[in-house]
Amino acid sequence: MIDFKHVTLEYPVTRTLALDDVSLNIGKGEFVYLVGHSGAGKSSFMNLVLKRALPSRGEVRVAGEPLSAYRGRRTSILRRRMGTVFQDNLLLPHLNAFDNVAFALRVTGVPQREWPQRVTAALRTVGLEHKKYALPLQLSLGEQQRVAIARAIVGNPPLLLADEPTGNLDPDNSREVLKVLQNVNLRGTTVIVATHARDLVETFRHRTLTLRKGKLVRDDPYGGYAL
Amino acid sequence: MKYHLRQALLAMRGNVTATLATLMTMTLTLLMLGFVLLLTLNVNRTIEQLEGQVEVAAFLAGDAQDEALLAQARAIPQVRDARLVTSEQVLTEMTQDTPFARDAAQLVGNPYPDTLRLRVARVEDTRAVATQVAALPGVEDVEYGAGYVDTTVRTLSAVRLAGYLLVGLLLLGTLFNILNAVRVAMYARRDEISVMRLLGATRGFIRMPHVLEGLIVGALAAALALAILTPAYLSLTERVQQLAPVFPVVRDTSTLAPLLGGVACLGILIGLLGSVFATRRYLQELE
Repeated sequence: MIDFKHVTLEYPVTRTLALDDVSLNIGKGEFVYLVGHSGAGKSSFMNLVLKRALPSRGEVRVAGEPLSAYRGRRTSILRRRMGTVFQDNLLLPHLNAFDNVAFALRVTGVPQREWPQRVTAALRTVGLEHKKYALPLQLSLGEQQRVAIARAIVGNPPLLLADEPTGNLDPDNSREVLKVLQNVNLRGTTVIVATHARDLVETFRHRTLTLRKGKLVRDDPYGGYAL
Repeated sequence: MKYHLRQALLAMRGNVTATLATLMTMTLTLLMLGFVLLLTLNVNRTIEQLEGQVEVAAFLAGDAQDEALLAQARAIPQVRDARLVTSEQVLTEMTQDTPFARDAAQLVGNPYPDTLRLRVARVEDTRAVATQVAALPGVEDVEYGAGYVDTTVRTLSAVRLAGYLLVGLLLLGTLFNILNAVRVAMYARRDEISVMRLLGATRGFIRMPHVLEGLIVGALAAALALAILTPAYLSLTERVQQLAPVFPVVRDTSTLAPLLGGVACLGILIGLLGSVFATRRYLQELE
């Protein structure tokens, strides 16, 4: 699904070395944590997969194709195959939960007649079917993050990227969000979660990649937070 | 499309000041453009009329080879038509205007020389033709109403050129206004645009509401400009016709409609181009 071969990413303006000779492979259907201190390179990893940045050296392949193959319209198509969840949930404040989730279908040109069924199913997956008419401000932070997950999965992407999805949440809500992400993974979606949350990584054990100063220092198939 | 249109209207409502500023500048520009084009149309019509009337008269010496000079005059490229008028024919013409001319001629002899009368293809060439003809051997003097023709042509051409320059500057200003308005609108929607990009929206999808915004502003400005310009022009030209019927003002629909239509199309085109450039640039900066 995702293949990094000796990938180095250096931001030209600040000359920051964000990733340093990283090689790894993430297979279809895996659940992977990406852990590391702030500035370790977790978000840079996500940015490369999303093609928000290009590697300075090495090669990144997504779904078997190098990033350079995704140009123009194909970049949009690549992103449609990925759901994304961020610490700031990026929900549109003037749209209710249903419309926020449906927004993902609208921008990708899914016919409107399919929206009710697909949006309802996605909200059901995250346990928020009963709050579909609530505006983001009427939802707790945990619920907002679950709506963001529903929006990320409503298009049935084979890959879900979550960058610090529990960063703003209390422990209970964090566990809820992790459970939702695990459920999504059980449906066959590859899930990559970048996180600081040691307790979650220890509680819900999955393969864990540890980054330090841009280098991949540990790839533990059985999980565990070891910085 | 309904979604894009709604988004475009929302963007315009959320950004009222910039939208109104653009709309007003664009309307004024189109008004100015329409005014200059209509002025040019009338100037051209006036120049055409002048061209039909302006004549270069070359007075020949008594011993001049009239026919040879006529052939030489006809060979000048800017000359559209040349004819020889004998001194007797001139006297007859003058007698029609001034009946005492023939009586005077009987006393002192025919004072009028044989004359070459030339019409030029373009009124601007009058002076050049006059100079060339004056240089021919056997031509004593040349007359073409130098002061009148030269001044008129220079003034009309200057007015036309100044108008075009002004319109060019205004069009450029309008384009920048549109660029700015669309940019502000896109910046106001930056969160939504960022979400769209992450969700895999195509550039076309993201740009569409803003392209429509430019198109709507352009169309509104065009409609406003035409709504002001058409009645104002018709009423002004009606006055001119009454006060100075000598000016050949253009009022026929078959000439005015394509010109005003063109002004409207230009407004829409400027709106469209401005928004296309602005959206392209904004998204390029995000990449």
